[in-house]
Amino acid sequence: MLVLVLGDLHIPYRVSGLPHEFRKLLTPGRIQHILCTGNLCTKETVDYLKTLTADVHIVRGDFDDNPNFVDQKVVTVGQFRIGLCHGHQIVPWGDIESLSMLQRQMDVDILITGHTHKFEAFERDNKFFINPGSATGAFNSLNSSTTPSFVLMDIQQASLTLYVYQLINEKFTVERLEYRKA
Amino acid sequence: MSMQKAVDNSRSSNAGLSMDNQEKLLADALQNVRQHAFAMKRVLDQQSVMEGLKHAANMLGELRTSLLSPKNYYELHVVVVEELHHLELYLTDEFEHGRGSHDLYEVVQYAGNIVPRLYLLITIGHVYIRANELPRREVLRDLVEMCRGVQHPLRGLFLRNYLLQCVKSLLPDTEEENQEATKTGTILDSLDFILLNFSEMNKLWVRMQYQGHTRDLQRREQERRELRILVGTNLVRLSELECVNVERYKTIVLPKIMEQVVSCRDSIAQEYLMECIIQVFPDEYHLNTLNEFLKACRELSASVNIRNILISLIDRLTAYSTRDGSQQNIPENIQLFDIFSEQIAEVVKSRINMPPEDIVALQSALLNLSLKCYRDQFEYGNKVLENTRKIFDNIALDTQVQTGTPAAKELVKMLKIPIDCYDILDVLKLNHYKLVLQLLSYRERHTVCMYIINSILDKETIIPTAEQVTQLFELLLTLIIDQTDSPLETSRQTITNEDFVEEQNLVARLYNNFQAPNDPDQQYHIIKICQDTFKNGGLERMRFTYPPIIMQAYALTFRYKNIREQDEKWEKKCQKLFQLCNQLINTLTKLETNDLPLRLYLQGALAASEIGSENAETIAYEFFSQAYTLYEEQAGDTRAQSASLTLLIGTLEKVTCFAEENHSTLRQSLTQAATRLVKRPDQVRTLLLCTHLFWSAQRLNESTQKSEQVHDNEKVLACLKKATKLTTQIMDQSVQVQLYNELLNTYIYFFNQNLPDIDITLLNSLIEKLQNEMSKISSNENDEFIRNQIQKTFDYLRQQSQLEKFQGLQINN
Repeated sequence: MLVLVLGDLHIPYRVSGLPHEFRKLLTPGRIQHILCTGNLCTKETVDYLKTLTADVHIVRGDFDDNPNFVDQKVVTVGQFRIGLCHGHQIVPWGDIESLSMLQRQMDVDILITGHTHKFEAFERDNKFFINPGSATGAFNSLNSSTTPSFVLMDIQQASLTLYVYQLINEKFTVERLEYRKA
Repeated sequence: MSMQKAVDNSRSSNAGLSMDNQEKLLADALQNVRQHAFAMKRVLDQQSVMEGLKHAANMLGELRTSLLSPKNYYELHVVVVEELHHLELYLTDEFEHGRGSHDLYEVVQYAGNIVPRLYLLITIGHVYIRANELPRREVLRDLVEMCRGVQHPLRGLFLRNYLLQCVKSLLPDTEEENQEATKTGTILDSLDFILLNFSEMNKLWVRMQYQGHTRDLQRREQERRELRILVGTNLVRLSELECVNVERYKTIVLPKIMEQVVSCRDSIAQEYLMECIIQVFPDEYHLNTLNEFLKACRELSASVNIRNILISLIDRLTAYSTRDGSQQNIPENIQLFDIFSEQIAEVVKSRINMPPEDIVALQSALLNLSLKCYRDQFEYGNKVLENTRKIFDNIALDTQVQTGTPAAKELVKMLKIPIDCYDILDVLKLNHYKLVLQLLSYRERHTVCMYIINSILDKETIIPTAEQVTQLFELLLTLIIDQTDSPLETSRQTITNEDFVEEQNLVARLYNNFQAPNDPDQQYHIIKICQDTFKNGGLERMRFTYPPIIMQAYALTFRYKNIREQDEKWEKKCQKLFQLCNQLINTLTKLETNDLPLRLYLQGALAASEIGSENAETIAYEFFSQAYTLYEEQAGDTRAQSASLTLLIGTLEKVTCFAEENHSTLRQSLTQAATRLVKRPDQVRTLLLCTHLFWSAQRLNESTQKSEQVHDNEKVLACLKKATKLTTQIMDQSVQVQLYNELLNTYIYFFNQNLPDIDITLLNSLIEKLQNEMSKISSNENDEFIRNQIQKTFDYLRQQSQLEKFQGLQINN
């Protein structure tokens, strides 16, 4: 089961669109679910995501123009409960302890947040934390050099393989990580 | 449709051409053919050649009919030719085994009727030539002449077509005679053969135009078109001959074809054949005969659609010239642009009733040629655009082309050509492009502008200078400011109009492609130009176009900071940028919701803080307090207010440039604001967020000029106590318990942070309280969820209790 995880695109407030290297990769029919951390920011981008697959989950970022997105969502894929939240609501932003608190509150195996525009993926107390970064490498005051990145999760029952796609100095790279539910 | 058919039926019933009648006639004819063919095959099996020929003649007699429509005649013809093939095979076989009869060619000349006679002659002639019974050259000449005997257009066309197909492999294609066999003929004989066949077929074809009543004209013309491939096959055959070269094409082939085409004065034939010539012969030939071809074009009859012929030729040669990516296929001495430019001018002059869309289509083809064949010489493309504008100015000066007309459509197509061929930076060098764009009405201008933007975005073209941005804006004005000829009333320019939103979002996206990557001053210049342009678009447009300017301005301050060693004015420049943003955001506050300006102000405060320029604190404070003011104005909307306050708190926690005085003011304001939120649960949760403002948030120590964390334990505890107190005042027990859990978690957080006054004892008492409260709530689904959350906290604590820090923690199930 392929799950696309991305967010913080900031189209059109900070960038004009997804890098074409990413657009080429993301073709319809290959992905089953999309989990989006928010800050798209317009309906146009929502529609684009919906062309890739029908099952799209979006949570509210601070710049999304749709006020009806929820703040938090839990989605079950395989044997994983996955929590989704943009992250600007968690103070301090990006703080690991606070994120752990959120993970406990949502009772999820995997917590996905964004807002920092910095890719992260780590395990803590047998739980997995993912930040797909900004898919467009959008500007962020607190992060001087943003690299465009997104994540693809391959979930089979209780095992998760994570593929990180990044554009570093205009070079396209892919990394792989594995995680098993306890 | 049915009425037409009924009328047709009544008219043509006399001629036996009604639909039902036709079907019956064809069926009868086919049956006869099969019967005769069967008989023929049977006697041939018995080696009776003469008998076979008789049956064949009978079968061929069916082709003498005048009653069938061309479509049906064709069906009959196919079957007959198929059966005739058996005879051919038989005879060939006989010769291969040395049993061939040598006099058949003579014998069949006595066949009664001319149609069967000629079909048999062709068939046998074919066999005899292959068997070397008769000299090729003479027989071929004979056959092509003898076919003149059939002057009925339909029968003649099919007969000559059969001839051409039959001798396909026999036409000599050599420079010299074959030494072994005599009189085989050379390429010149083949050319004579085919050109004569072609001429005769064309004459027959043209004659069809005048057969019958004038009221059947439309049907006849349709039928003629169905048969055109029969005539065209001659040209195809010519193109297949290997010994035809440019020289022979120019001196023999083309003149003869042209002579026929021009003299026949029939527009259906002329239109088809000119097109056929272009498609069938190689481009190299066309290049060398341009003058002849174009001269013939001028002599075509007035009703011929010369537009398509010329465009066909221009497009072909354009494609040829850029084949394999090179532009060298055209020899130096052939100046395609000049030739066609002149030609088009002549055509337009001579055909005074040519509709404007046709003229534009011709200009488009010429433009396409200019842009592809003269890639770096913009003056050609410019000339075409200028001429196009002149044409319309001559018709009616300063008048727009009416929307939806064919001329408007052709102009749109024309304007898309440079966008497709070049990237936008080169298109901007065509300074007459906008002259043509201005001809169009609002709807078409809109279409072209959208097309331009989409093309830039798809190609990811960067526009790097303010000057180019300015030029681009001249083209895109239709989308940027209100147009006097727009059907859109101002009231329709709102976010409820999806088209308007789509269009403005596109402009916003485009803005992000205005980048001067190595020149911050140029970038600043671009920002100013854009602000000056967008401010004339009205508030509804600014809603979309201002935010990207503001965000790009913030990003620019970081670029200035990066080059502070080289640019001593960097701080002043940053100051100017922030001032500009302040102005722009202020304009956006006039919109009906404050969410966006509030967030933009907060982004500005963050940027100022990170930049750390000389006025950073002043700027950040100004922006932050503006955001706060906007927050207060959201008093009517509890949800928006709560979300905005959370954002204010999160931002403040990250802004490090405030000295204690300012920081303290802001900390207090936000904490008090939290207690003033309408809903209790919001109050509690927001207060819990505020605790971080007194802990990890950073303020500037003025003596050391370094940022340090606030670490005010008293205030943190005060917040926690206040939050606890507020929680006790919540009536809904489930919500209350949930909040107690969140409180506990926050206490644990600060315990981990080693906040003094939070010790194990305190934690134990909180745990106990929570356990008690938990027992009070019910066991419905929602409460199950809350119980589960609490369990998760306890699980976590159980885990932590292993650590030394948590010694003495009382956590049991």
